Amino acid sequence: MKQKWMQLLLGLSTVASLVAPASMANAATAPKVVLKVLYMNQAGYTTTVLRQMGKQFQKEYPNVTIQFTFLPYTQMHSAVLTSAAAPTAQYDVVLSDLIWTGEFGSRGYTLPLNSYIKQNVKNANQIPQSVWNGFKVGNKIMAMPFLANFQNFYYNKNLLKKAGFNAPPKTMTQWLHQMKVLKAKHIVQYPYEDSWLQAEGLVCDYVRTAGEFGNGNLFNANGQPIMNQGPALKALQWMRMLYADGLANPNSLTADEPTAANAFASGQVAFNTNWTFVTGIMDTKSESKIVGQGVVTTFPVAPGTNKATHSADISGFQGLAIAANTPANLRPWAWKWIQFATSPAVQAQHLHSQWPVWSQIANSPKEKKLNKWASVYQQNLNSVYNRPVIANYLQVSSIIQQYVHEAIAGTIPVKQAADEMVQQINQLKG
Amino acid sequence: MSLSVPVGQKPPHRRITHRLFLALSSEYIWFYLLLIPSIVLLVCVVIIPMVFAFKMSLGNTTVVTVGGKGSIQSVWVGLQNYVNVLSSPYFWQAFRDTVYFSVVSLLIEVTVGVGIALLMNQKFFGRKVFRVIVFIPWAVPTVVNAMLWGMVFDGDNYGALNDLLLRMHWIQTPVIWLNAAPLFQGIPWLSNFVSWLGGSVAMNSMIIGDEWRTLPIVAVLLLAGLQTIPNEYYEAARVEGASAWRQFRAITVPLLGPILSIVLILRTMQLLRAFTLIFTLQQYGLPILSIEAYQQAFSFGNFGTGSAISFLVGILSLLIAVVYIKRLYKEEM
Repeated sequence: MKQKWMQLLLGLSTVASLVAPASMANAATAPKVVLKVLYMNQAGYTTTVLRQMGKQFQKEYPNVTIQFTFLPYTQMHSAVLTSAAAPTAQYDVVLSDLIWTGEFGSRGYTLPLNSYIKQNVKNANQIPQSVWNGFKVGNKIMAMPFLANFQNFYYNKNLLKKAGFNAPPKTMTQWLHQMKVLKAKHIVQYPYEDSWLQAEGLVCDYVRTAGEFGNGNLFNANGQPIMNQGPALKALQWMRMLYADGLANPNSLTADEPTAANAFASGQVAFNTNWTFVTGIMDTKSESKIVGQGVVTTFPVAPGTNKATHSADISGFQGLAIAANTPANLRPWAWKWIQFATSPAVQAQHLHSQWPVWSQIANSPKEKKLNKWASVYQQNLNSVYNRPVIANYLQVSSIIQQYVHEAIAGTIPVKQAADEMVQQINQLKG
Repeated sequence: MSLSVPVGQKPPHRRITHRLFLALSSEYIWFYLLLIPSIVLLVCVVIIPMVFAFKMSLGNTTVVTVGGKGSIQSVWVGLQNYVNVLSSPYFWQAFRDTVYFSVVSLLIEVTVGVGIALLMNQKFFGRKVFRVIVFIPWAVPTVVNAMLWGMVFDGDNYGALNDLLLRMHWIQTPVIWLNAAPLFQGIPWLSNFVSWLGGSVAMNSMIIGDEWRTLPIVAVLLLAGLQTIPNEYYEAARVEGASAWRQFRAITVPLLGPILSIVLILRTMQLLRAFTLIFTLQQYGLPILSIEAYQQAFSFGNFGTGSAISFLVGILSLLIAVVYIKRLYKEEM
């Protein structure tokens, strides 16, 4: 009898070991691992969502403990930089904003992920090429796309109706006309507010506006800055004109994105061009006075431009990267976490938070049910321009911020500001 | 005994030996032993980082990762970083703005700070409550203070200051308090002059935000100084028929001098490296020296240039401190 019981137990344990997931079997024997992850607490997925993802991951891999550090966006870059200076990384997995891709890639602060992606990511073509491009330095992919943030054109349909318009502007000329009518009829004091504080957000708005005039690339194919000609120059003239003519709220010069969003949500302005978070704010009673009045649409463009997309946008993609000084034994686990957090399955669980990078999830019935603006989002995502992927981007950006800000404020004439901008950037390159 | 040594004095080498003996005698050994923890701490957290930063300032210093290990690589360039910084128009613009920020702040502290201290030194009903209320802003953390002033200075209609001024009909349209626009735009020559000095609407807003928090500690330190002045001096002056203004000029100001000098040393050093409030509200939009140094090091990754700027700020602070201290000793003599 005892022998039979023993045989049965042995049989059961053999079956159990055969059917148990490989990961669990590995986890039981795998050494304890502590993975340090750096993410921000300002935009993108919330800290709560990240912690949920962490718990899910730890269920699958009980030997791994994820230690999150959340910092404001302004401290993220310096945190990655100082971590890279240490013999062993302070953070094994870091959030990589697409504007840091060039620097991290060329200076080797993070590892290229090509081999991991080639081996483990199925249907990589389900992530739009525009998103991949944001994280590429040459042929090296420096981060796995995590979320696809971009801007939307928001308008208040009630205010537009009062001004006699039943549809949003499709061209820059129509947009200008609508703003002038809104102001002339005293429906609003300022029809538009944007985030033109001398910070990275200003560069985003400048690139997007240049895109609306036909080309959001601030450098030509030879890597030469072209801010003093064509669409980039028209963009600067446009921004200055909006400010000087009182069509843009003067507060735009000191406003960041949340401030501009608040102006729109409080019903003070009719138009706002901002990141996707405004969609949630405008229809939340506790945060908005315009519930049901805000509409998301594509960006107006100059006639004859952006023919393929009928919109022009700016990317604010985030990726996850492995620090180059992460110990070799932690790298496979760092990748496992990245693969998990960026997987279609996990992104599908958090659709209410952020727009997924995977097309099949973005186009899923669930997403369409959750987000009534899904098709507009898709169109805007397809029309993004990326900021330049260059090693010294932050220095270039600092110059752009200074001159664009001064040009809008009228401290320097527009053409002079654009010329000086180009000159300074060329000096930097020299 | 050497003829060159006056009678009754020990020769120099014997004086040194004598001092060393005294230092190692049981009376002084505890003195040095008790100082050791502070000295070790000072060496670890101040001296070593300072030497390291100075070394960085003499090189083209960047972060590199080789073979899976991160490190800071410095290629010796001598004083080139200092030359580059001192020949950069951005540095001099930042220098000018820093000087404006510091001088105007100090002027407010010397005048308003002394005024508040004098008021707190008077005997009146509710004096203790008044002193506590005055001190409250100092307890507010710097970042919280910055966020608070961000809400006060918000340029939209719902900014606290604009809302108040609009309701009082003092302004017709909201003022963009954090915009670096020129002051006194109605008077061109004055506007140009103040702009040349580094003054702007944003800069003055920053000064107000910073002073709201730091003025209380200045006032309290000055109050401590006022309380050391014997009341008899004022009584004697009153008997002699001196007016209140004369008493202030002849008694208060000279006797408040030493504490005022100390306050000025401390505040000048603090103001020259002011950072949090301006960075929180303006990021890199108002690049005073400390922000310029931070941007060079932690945004652009040019640790050599950032360190060079920091050292120049340090040297400037030191020079100003030396002037104050010399003056302080002169007053005491």
